[in-house]
Amino acid sequence: MNRRVLIAIAVLALAGALAFAARPHETTADERVDQITTELRCPVCQGLSVKDSTSETARQMRDLVAQRVREAKTNAEIEAEFRAAYGDWIFLSPPLASWTGLVWLVPVAALAAGLALVTGRLRSGGVPQPSAPTTTEVAALRERVAREEAAEG
Amino acid sequence: MLARVVRIAVVVVILGLVVTLALAFRRDPHDIRTGTVNKPAPAFTLGRLDGSGQASLADYSGKVVVVNFFASWCLPCIQENPALVRVYERYRSSDVVMLGINFQESRENGLAYVQRMGISWTSVADDDGRVALSYGVFGPPETFFIGPDGIIAGRHIGPIDEETLVTAIEKLRGQAATR
Repeated sequence: MNRRVLIAIAVLALAGALAFAARPHETTADERVDQITTELRCPVCQGLSVKDSTSETARQMRDLVAQRVREAKTNAEIEAEFRAAYGDWIFLSPPLASWTGLVWLVPVAALAAGLALVTGRLRSGGVPQPSAPTTTEVAALRERVAREEAAEG
Repeated sequence: MLARVVRIAVVVVILGLVVTLALAFRRDPHDIRTGTVNKPAPAFTLGRLDGSGQASLADYSGKVVVVNFFASWCLPCIQENPALVRVYERYRSSDVVMLGINFQESRENGLAYVQRMGISWTSVADDDGRVALSYGVFGPPETFFIGPDGIIAGRHIGPIDEETLVTAIEKLRGQAATR
């Protein structure tokens, strides 16, 4: 009996600890700066985020983001400020809603068109069979064969 | 019927790709039309490199303003400087203003460069880089053409030549004259 109670207490304690650890918590200013700068592209680097770059430009961008966070600007407002200056290019993952969505759409559309073409061909019976010769064509062929046989003697 | 529609769709897609490629190859890679182009020029007030007070973009309202981001450590800036000097001399008594913004360096180095290179137009220091970021600058040299209406009409990335400068300035002066 005591053993069962101890196990139940242990399970409850574990569940409580897990729930405490997983509780929603307020994002700190530093965490917000990290979140935003992870998404921003360093303009003078090759595929590096502002967070990961050691360049002077990235440092200035991090300082600007930190200042905007201190000014209680939302993430969307801060991102909009960079978008206004650099366009969608400044994001390492540009939003899909812009014209860049075509990059994803065109291959899918081409694949769908190819599948539709193949399906259409298969349904119509594959390679088209030659139609039967008309009586005029048969007569002309017979005449030609007779002529060639006569010429061969 | 379906096959015909698909064939037409394929032709349309291929034509679209060809047109897109043709347009992309025709574009001048120095003329980047993203971000701030065709939008109001971000306002700024910065300290002059020579220490003689401050300069604001608002001081030049109603004029054609050529804003050039430069640095002494930037070799293409040295390369483009003679063209900037010639164009400045050509327009110095007109309604065209040139403004240099020193990029990511100390004021001492920026001032020494300006004096060494014969730059007599106003040069200011962007100490914390905020103005460069607000203009969407990648790195020097970059040149922005701001119309009398305060809108950024064009942007040139990399060293600029005299012809490009004069063409862009004259276009803006022509627009101002017809307003």
